Amino acid sequence: MVTDTNKPAPANWWRWFDPRQRDIGTWAFILNRITAIGLTIYLFLHLVVLYQLSQGPDAYDGFLELAKSPIIVIGELLVVIAAIYHGLNGIRIGLTTFTDTSPFQRAIFYVFTFITIVGSLIFAVRMFTA
Amino acid sequence: MIQTRADTKPGEGTGLWFVKILLGLFIIVLLLVHLIVNHYVGEGALLTWQNVVDYFSNPWIVFMEITFLFVVVSHSLIGMRSIILDLNPARGTMKIIDWFLIILGTGSIIYGIWLALKIASFGG
Amino acid sequence: MSNQIWMVTFRIFRKKGNLKPYFEDFEMEVKPGEYLLEAIERIWAYKDRSLTFAHACHHSTCGACGMRVNGKEKLTCITLIKDVVKDGGTVKVEPLRNFPVVSDLVVDIGKLYLNLESVGHHPVVSVVEEPYQDGIAAGRGSEADYIRLSDCIECGMCISACPVATTTSTYLGPAALAGAMQASLNPDNGVLKLVDCADGVWRCHSAYECSEVCPSYVEPGRKIMQLRRKVMAERIKSIFRSNN
Repeated sequence: MVTDTNKPAPANWWRWFDPRQRDIGTWAFILNRITAIGLTIYLFLHLVVLYQLSQGPDAYDGFLELAKSPIIVIGELLVVIAAIYHGLNGIRIGLTTFTDTSPFQRAIFYVFTFITIVGSLIFAVRMFTA
Repeated sequence: MIQTRADTKPGEGTGLWFVKILLGLFIIVLLLVHLIVNHYVGEGALLTWQNVVDYFSNPWIVFMEITFLFVVVSHSLIGMRSIILDLNPARGTMKIIDWFLIILGTGSIIYGIWLALKIASFGG
Repeated sequence: MSNQIWMVTFRIFRKKGNLKPYFEDFEMEVKPGEYLLEAIERIWAYKDRSLTFAHACHHSTCGACGMRVNGKEKLTCITLIKDVVKDGGTVKVEPLRNFPVVSDLVVDIGKLYLNLESVGHHPVVSVVEEPYQDGIAAGRGSEADYIRLSDCIECGMCISACPVATTTSTYLGPAALAGAMQASLNPDNGVLKLVDCADGVWRCHSAYECSEVCPSYVEPGRKIMQLRRKVMAERIKSIFRSNN
């Protein structure tokens, strides 16, 4: 008699984000999905916030003062890191789809992660010393 | 002869996946342009309302930002749709989700175009 | 090493009928150089005859003994105990994921077989269509004379490891898509149309966990990408064909 245990189910969605006992490619997938969701939330927040621009200088410049707070700056840095990683992983996906470079997907991930870290440090220095 | 699968879903076939990855490529290019011109070109690097208005007085900037908006909104919503498809929703549910995403996307792009033109109009 | 005896706790997933699943510990004396499957067989023989598990060939050809060992998919007939646990340690053994459990460590893998059949995967192929992994020449005569068992041993470990297969049962999955790639070598069987859908090649998100856990050199992730390129090429060709 077959049970329901272990059956695929939407309720298992949290497993998308579980890296335990999984290899590097799954890490890439997890980070891609998290950054995708994060960037989408940021995108719509960004569009809403930019409405202040249509309300004149007082509204927008007031908002910019708020945007200098450390929490906002850290949030923006996270957005930058997410964008760099997501873009590079997208290139990895495009590369392995359109060319026969799947056997090198781990190496590509390592290189792109290194670039993400370097890019993030450069942006972090610029954002926190501005 | 291969058996046909009555339960295969249409939806994210070659076309939509290819559009998603192509939009992604455009985002990489436009994001670089967007970041460079936002922060390095022009007076004050967009630190005040007036800087933004001056920035938007260039019609090429308006065109670039609207194109960037279209590309980013489309890519992000097609991507969100892919994530939802992984949950294997029923066909009817997916239709409702599709309409929601189309309305959200279209609405965002129309709002963005309105906003860009409004800011450009402040410049006279 | 060959005379060493270790004391290892095997934490085995148990599930009978509609009762709640649980883990049961069995302390066993084992040799570190033994295979995990041998220890599981001894648990069944000497400790609990109600323990159910699948096994057949004992040499990584049948694919029956795939299980999750410490959370990772492995063929237990070729997994050495010393590679997964130390003396005095605990090793967790669970059934494959994403297939419904029948009992204890046995899962219903029927959907995999149906999917493989639906895409036209052949378990026996010509060496020309599916060369040996190490590229060794077939021997006397033309290569076309030789047939071999396909690399895929239909163990289901790739589906257990796939993050997409965990939430949707309609995804064809890495094994069937790799099988479709093999079947697509015959261009007239319509398999490219079959896999060009939301539940086919486009559902994969390039985690490549399937290729990591495959014990048999199938490289399902790579085959999915090859299949994608074929599907795209076919789509482009069909545009020109319909314009003629």
